[in-house]
Amino acid sequence: MALAPPRPRRRRRHATGGPAWVPYAYLLPHAVLFVIFIVYPVAFGVYVSLHRWNILSDVQRYVGLEFYARLVTPGTVQFNFFWKTMGNTALFTAITVPALLLAALGLALLLDRPIPGRAFFRAVFFLPTILAVSVMGLTWRWMFENQTGLVNILLDLIPFTQAMPFLTNVGWAWVPIVVGTIWWTVGFNMILYGAALAAIPRVYYEAAMIDGAGAWAQFRHITWPQLNPVTLFALVTTTIASFQLFGQPHVITSGGPLRTTQSVMMFITEEAFGNFQFASAAAMSVFFGLLLLLVTGLQFRMTLRDLGRGVR
Amino acid sequence: MTMRRTLAALLTAALLSAAAAQIELTYWHGFTGPDMPLMEQLIAEFNAQHPGIVVKAEAVPWGNLWQQLEPSVAAGRAPDVVAVNEDVVTGFILRGALAPMTPAALAAADIDPGRFFGPLWDTGVVDDVAYAVPVHSVMIVMYYNKALFAAAGLDPESPPTTRDEYLAAARALTTDTAGRHPGDAGFDHGALATWAAGMVSPWMGGTVAYAFTAQNGVTFVDGADAGYAPNFDSPEAQEMVQFLIDLVNVHQVSPKNATEGSEIDAFRQGKAAMNFNGVWMLSQYAEQPGLDFGVAAIPQLGSERFATWGGSSHLAMPVQRRPDAAKQAAAMTFIGWMTQPEQNLFWTAAGGLPTQPEVAASEGYASNPMAALGEAMEGTFVLTGFPFLAQFRGAWDAAYEAALLGDKSVAQALADGVAEAASRIADGLQSLPPR
Repeated sequence: MALAPPRPRRRRRHATGGPAWVPYAYLLPHAVLFVIFIVYPVAFGVYVSLHRWNILSDVQRYVGLEFYARLVTPGTVQFNFFWKTMGNTALFTAITVPALLLAALGLALLLDRPIPGRAFFRAVFFLPTILAVSVMGLTWRWMFENQTGLVNILLDLIPFTQAMPFLTNVGWAWVPIVVGTIWWTVGFNMILYGAALAAIPRVYYEAAMIDGAGAWAQFRHITWPQLNPVTLFALVTTTIASFQLFGQPHVITSGGPLRTTQSVMMFITEEAFGNFQFASAAAMSVFFGLLLLLVTGLQFRMTLRDLGRGVR
Repeated sequence: MTMRRTLAALLTAALLSAAAAQIELTYWHGFTGPDMPLMEQLIAEFNAQHPGIVVKAEAVPWGNLWQQLEPSVAAGRAPDVVAVNEDVVTGFILRGALAPMTPAALAAADIDPGRFFGPLWDTGVVDDVAYAVPVHSVMIVMYYNKALFAAAGLDPESPPTTRDEYLAAARALTTDTAGRHPGDAGFDHGALATWAAGMVSPWMGGTVAYAFTAQNGVTFVDGADAGYAPNFDSPEAQEMVQFLIDLVNVHQVSPKNATEGSEIDAFRQGKAAMNFNGVWMLSQYAEQPGLDFGVAAIPQLGSERFATWGGSSHLAMPVQRRPDAAKQAAAMTFIGWMTQPEQNLFWTAAGGLPTQPEVAASEGYASNPMAALGEAMEGTFVLTGFPFLAQFRGAWDAAYEAALLGDKSVAQALADGVAEAASRIADGLQSLPPR
């Protein structure tokens, strides 16, 4: 922050060319929407989480941090399921985020070459992104159905493999969800990487080739560093999207077997609209939101340090 | 009568009807499936017969409807009439979302409580006050493949009705790819060609297990006096859950790892000889080429009573911030008309069951494939209508699934389920407004 020497105030005002409130006026439209749709709901959620909330009651009993305390008290139903579903969500994130980044980068690199049908393949890989989650979910559930799914029919036909009850097997139930998610969302990151690849000046590669750099050295020292800002963006957005997992397990496994594929968002929804425990659900949302903020902050720090541009 | 007098009379009538302005009612329901055109037809007919009332219906998927109802009541923007299902109606009543119907209002709308199946009517009643009138009813039934029955030497016209009959039929109907039956030397449970009925994972698996467990006299949750304490860890409940799991692992008449979807497919393909599912599956099975099947009540595998899972939809009036007597009367008129025998009979064409004995016994219903269930309906213990059903059902499903998949012993799974349900129900009780 203190990198540039402080400038005289008068000069800065002249530089912007107008009264001091002008920049704020430009910010106002977004600020209004931000307050209405983000700040107010979050603040109201915090307020709800401190009461035993009955939406139809005139008075809401204040209970303080009771619902937060449950989340850190072993043995309560909320503790058990919140952390179990948090663990499920973290597992899903740990698998899908690297997979989605690597697969997207791989596809983008392949499609960065001047091969015939490039636009066609880009469209094909991007196409699933436009599907509704229900369509995608039903398709993959049907593909992995225990006895009649296409995957199991194929596994039965291939020597040395046998049908696997994916939908009711702890652990394997993640396969349809993870495979479906990658198929469904990889196209978006692929487009991001594709655009970033096209923007890298070719002169870098020419200079590197003259210096005798091979394909790996070019990737390691030119492509990857040049892609860093896009990787940071994709990493943060993909992580947040993965943590907010809801639709895929909701449609494919309904969170089963034994709640092993239930995401934390599904559990919060169940607590609010299945059990009508709005305060408990609000407390979980606040807690989860803070955790997500922490994770995102860490990611920013790590990746920015990696960028090596002096921002800390 | 002269022309002038006729004109004057017409003019007066027109003025009068304009003065008595039409009452507009909003109506939310979740009949978004094959039943939607029938519901729309009924509403159009009601509007045509009642010039003073206009019902404007909005079809909202059930899940969304439950989420929107209470916020809409809190905001003073609730619909005048709403359709609610058996698993949520008592909760909505206790949390104060639905308005009571006085005996006088019921009588004025020509709604006679005695006309309906008792358990169905009671689903919409709390503390002897009616809040919701049954309009739609479903249950879990047994579909069975007549060709497979005949091939196994069983009478296709008399499906099993007791545990012994069921086990005998199930063994005869189950074969591996080499034609061996369970118990035969070399029988391969992993390579079934045909089988009796798969024991499936929740939600459907929990629903079927719920029905059979009730046959052992289990009530799942104690009454209001006992604070709605869950009791489904009793020896009777354990006995039934163990038996259902034994059908897979000991008797080997069900494949392992069955799901609702895989069993529906297997029944359509003629692999599963029996299928426990809702009456709503009828049209799908009827459209399956070459599938010769019958519908019957589920067998009585329990020792105490006949019972099956029942579901129902009820018409109710949400609480309004500014109650309007004229609108309420019109809403009652609509609810009364919709639940008359004539409309109920029309409605059964969409796959619903009759809500009243008169319709079940009527000539118009005799040709319905579900007519064979008439007796079962009279004796059905409809397992619905206590509050916190959702809180109990999640825990029950999880317990049954843990036992079915061998994750826990039956006793442990049910004990854990009761602990979970008790905690959820305690929360639910604390969140209720004082009555």
